[in-house]
Amino acid sequence: MLKYLKILTSASAVAMLSAGAFAQDTPRVAFVPQIVGIPYFNAMEQGGKDAAEEFGVEFIYTGPVDTNPIDQLQIVQNLIAQGVEAIAVSVLDASSIAPVVEQARAQDIHLYTSDSDAPDSGRAVYVAQATDEGLGYTIIDELVARVGEDAKIGIVSGEATASNLNAWIGFMQERVAERYPNVTLLEPQFAGGTAQRAAQIATDMMASNPDLKGIIAVASTTCPGVGQAIETANRIGEVVGTGYCSPNTARSYIKSGAFGFSVLWDPAKLGYLTVWAGKQLIDGNEFQAENEVTGFDEPIAYDEATGVLLLGAPAVFTAENVDDFDF
Amino acid sequence: MNLRRILTLSSRELTLAAACLVAIIAFSMVSDHFGTATNLTTILRNSVELLLIGLGMTLLLAMGGIDVSVGVAMGLAAIGVGKVLAAGFGALAAALVGPLVGAALGIVTASVVVLGRIPPIVATLGLFGVFRTAIFLWLGGQWLSGLPTDLTAIVSSSFMGVPLMAWTIAAAYLVIWVALRRTPFGPHLLAVGNSETKARLSGVSVRKVQFSAFVINGALCGLAATFYVATYRNVEMSIGSTLALEAIAAVVLGGTSILGGRCSLVGTVLGVLLIRILQNGLLLVGVPSLWQTVVTGGLLIAVLCLDALSGRMPVSIWRRRPA
Amino acid sequence: MSALLGAWRNQPVLLVLALLWVGLISAIALFQPHILNVYTFTGILQFASILALVSLGQSLVILAGGAGIDLSVGGNVSLTAVLTMMALVAGLDAGWMPLLCVAIGAGLGLTNGILVTRLGFYPLIVTLGTFYIYSGVALALTGGSAISGVPTWSLTWGRGSWGVIPLPFLTLVLPAFIMAAIILSLTSWGRWIYAMGYNERSARLVGIPVDRVRILLYTLGGALSGLAALVSLAWLGSARPNIGVNLELESLTAAMLGGIAIFGGRGHVFGVFAAVILLVTLKTAMLQMGFNTVLQVGVVGLLLILVLLADRLSQHRG
Repeated sequence: MLKYLKILTSASAVAMLSAGAFAQDTPRVAFVPQIVGIPYFNAMEQGGKDAAEEFGVEFIYTGPVDTNPIDQLQIVQNLIAQGVEAIAVSVLDASSIAPVVEQARAQDIHLYTSDSDAPDSGRAVYVAQATDEGLGYTIIDELVARVGEDAKIGIVSGEATASNLNAWIGFMQERVAERYPNVTLLEPQFAGGTAQRAAQIATDMMASNPDLKGIIAVASTTCPGVGQAIETANRIGEVVGTGYCSPNTARSYIKSGAFGFSVLWDPAKLGYLTVWAGKQLIDGNEFQAENEVTGFDEPIAYDEATGVLLLGAPAVFTAENVDDFDF
Repeated sequence: MNLRRILTLSSRELTLAAACLVAIIAFSMVSDHFGTATNLTTILRNSVELLLIGLGMTLLLAMGGIDVSVGVAMGLAAIGVGKVLAAGFGALAAALVGPLVGAALGIVTASVVVLGRIPPIVATLGLFGVFRTAIFLWLGGQWLSGLPTDLTAIVSSSFMGVPLMAWTIAAAYLVIWVALRRTPFGPHLLAVGNSETKARLSGVSVRKVQFSAFVINGALCGLAATFYVATYRNVEMSIGSTLALEAIAAVVLGGTSILGGRCSLVGTVLGVLLIRILQNGLLLVGVPSLWQTVVTGGLLIAVLCLDALSGRMPVSIWRRRPA
Repeated sequence: MSALLGAWRNQPVLLVLALLWVGLISAIALFQPHILNVYTFTGILQFASILALVSLGQSLVILAGGAGIDLSVGGNVSLTAVLTMMALVAGLDAGWMPLLCVAIGAGLGLTNGILVTRLGFYPLIVTLGTFYIYSGVALALTGGSAISGVPTWSLTWGRGSWGVIPLPFLTLVLPAFIMAAIILSLTSWGRWIYAMGYNERSARLVGIPVDRVRILLYTLGGALSGLAALVSLAWLGSARPNIGVNLELESLTAAMLGGIAIFGGRGHVFGVFAAVILLVTLKTAMLQMGFNTVLQVGVVGLLLILVLLADRLSQHRG
């Protein structure tokens, strides 16, 4: 027994001794998504790669296999240990970075958020796809325009623990309460991570509310489930589905009429902007109120009070324009 | 005496049937939308995958085995079905790919468990991880979505007024029932479940029985994949990750002993239906979806307690040493 | 050489794990020498803390046989964290936090123990049921959102370290494992646990209070999950209702990898400790060497199968 312990300890001693900082020529920017293997974050990765080429940085993309904050935290910590100069995280919630903010600061590493924010965590900047408010309001406005101001609308979300999705739902409820007093917004239902559960819940929702006029799929995993449920139940035309889904995911449902529209930003552009922001942080450039970014036609707005860099207004995809996009 | 139990209803099966009936009546009284033909068809459609996987799990538990990788095995087979469908090979080819891939995965599982002689729960736990990685790699980050409707059209069609899905389940049930009741496979399976050593001494080819059970289970997972793709027409990467535990819960609810030697196919079917009826009904009467897992767990414990009260549960939990 | 052969015969699993670990460290040293620093080492121990505590409880329950297993550990951690924080938010003095975590965790474990021993249900089913209940209640109570407001003094403990060793690891994980090792190898309780795991019938016949020991072990396992919840609170700074997700499978993997026999009666907590460290190091090494994270689950699964195969082979020789 002791012998092995000895082996273990001597190996760890070697580990200790070879410690030391390691300088690299090209600065590195990393992006940690909430989960790997989904089209949305793959598109962000692609945008990040393009930006890395444009701005001469090395781009690292790595994330957890489950939406588990501890796994995400471990990945962030490892990037810090590697001394990656700028690390962007789409946080599952604040606990994904809170324990390592101090350590990053001590090592002079720029830790910032993108796609999903942890306000008050000490992050350097938040690269936002759109404001949470804008996302929540837009989807309600667009949907009400299609189903009428006295409609009943249901919400199917994914993991109940995703803080960004919950924020959007909050703004949907706020918008309905303020502007559409006659709209009935049902309590949100949570399907977890699988499309199958989302389809089941959407089907049950339509069964228990025959007068349901619209269903909003909040998480991108719930989009195919909701679209499929409306098609299978033969309620196309009676129930309008929508959600925050990429054109590629929503296309067949928009074409079949199960979805009226879909709201999203271009994740590739968000990935691109994320890497650009990382480069600015590394170079020590302050963000201006309006920033000219290579590759963008419009200047990018920065709100100093909240530390938010804003990609722009969300895009609405409909049957007319969905084929113009490929992500 | 074990085999006689398979078709004559035991007290557990009666309890479950009564529970299903009570649930149906209660939900119908509270919600107007529960008892409709559309909704009942929905419940059936939502049960298909779990039913098929549950039947396979029943065989495994009956022989003292278990498989926690069934959900992800279904996921892998579903990718196969989806790719074939997307490539335009037609519905029949796609439908066959499911069980074929499933059976192949079953052979892998059987090899590790039977030839490697690793306890099934540990081996399939390892394979769960391996299969999940395989799903990620095979999908490569792109979901299969908006797949052709060829398969969907066939699956949702009816024959003699009964949905094709119901026919398939009936056929799968019948095949397994015949195998258990009318061939030596059944008694051998239960003998292995009761005691591997005794089974071996009485001339049962233990390895062959175990191997076949895992392969059949794999094929059933694959068949479930065919139905999954036909119904949902998409495959995403978290597919099936929660199915295995749900299947075990349903089978155990049905009265199959987790230590082997006793099984009930009717019980499994009733267990699956009860779980799905409750999930559907509770949502219809307005219970938030977040409480659904609590209900599944509570149901499991409640049925166990009912059994304990009626004194049917074997008192001894002494574990046999592995042979 | 002969020492190695002897070790292969006596503690094959431990040897395999140690060799694998040394291999991993050497691989990092070869390919990514600059990350072999204090932060990495501290990080590995920090990330191992929660899994180590839960795996220890899991191992004790399995070791005692009777088809023992605890699938509810992850749900226990989540629910304990949530309930504790709800109590603090409701106005309970923050000083009670550690005690409350242990008490709630132990209570949830005791529930399992009573259902298993007094009512005679199979552990796999009971804990599958309580897994659904515990994790479901944690989610439903919070609606999914995290509860913040963990007292700052606990953060100092949860994120601090003594030299290179994180404080939670030093003050909870090490003592827990050392105590478990002492109890298992030096006290009659330990002999009882091995005896009932090896052959319950004869254990009962020689008068070992099997049921009482088993209840105690489930309670202890629950208390260890409660401690894991405490670590998560003090480290992350908030109670997340799904913080224990996947812990049931991970702790089972660690226990099996560490050489605990699934039927009980064989194995040692040192093996489990080594397995936990190996699993976390493996993840770290793969991250550092730039492997895709999706490979992690597969590699761990494969490792589990291979180590058990190696174990089989060594038994054949012995």
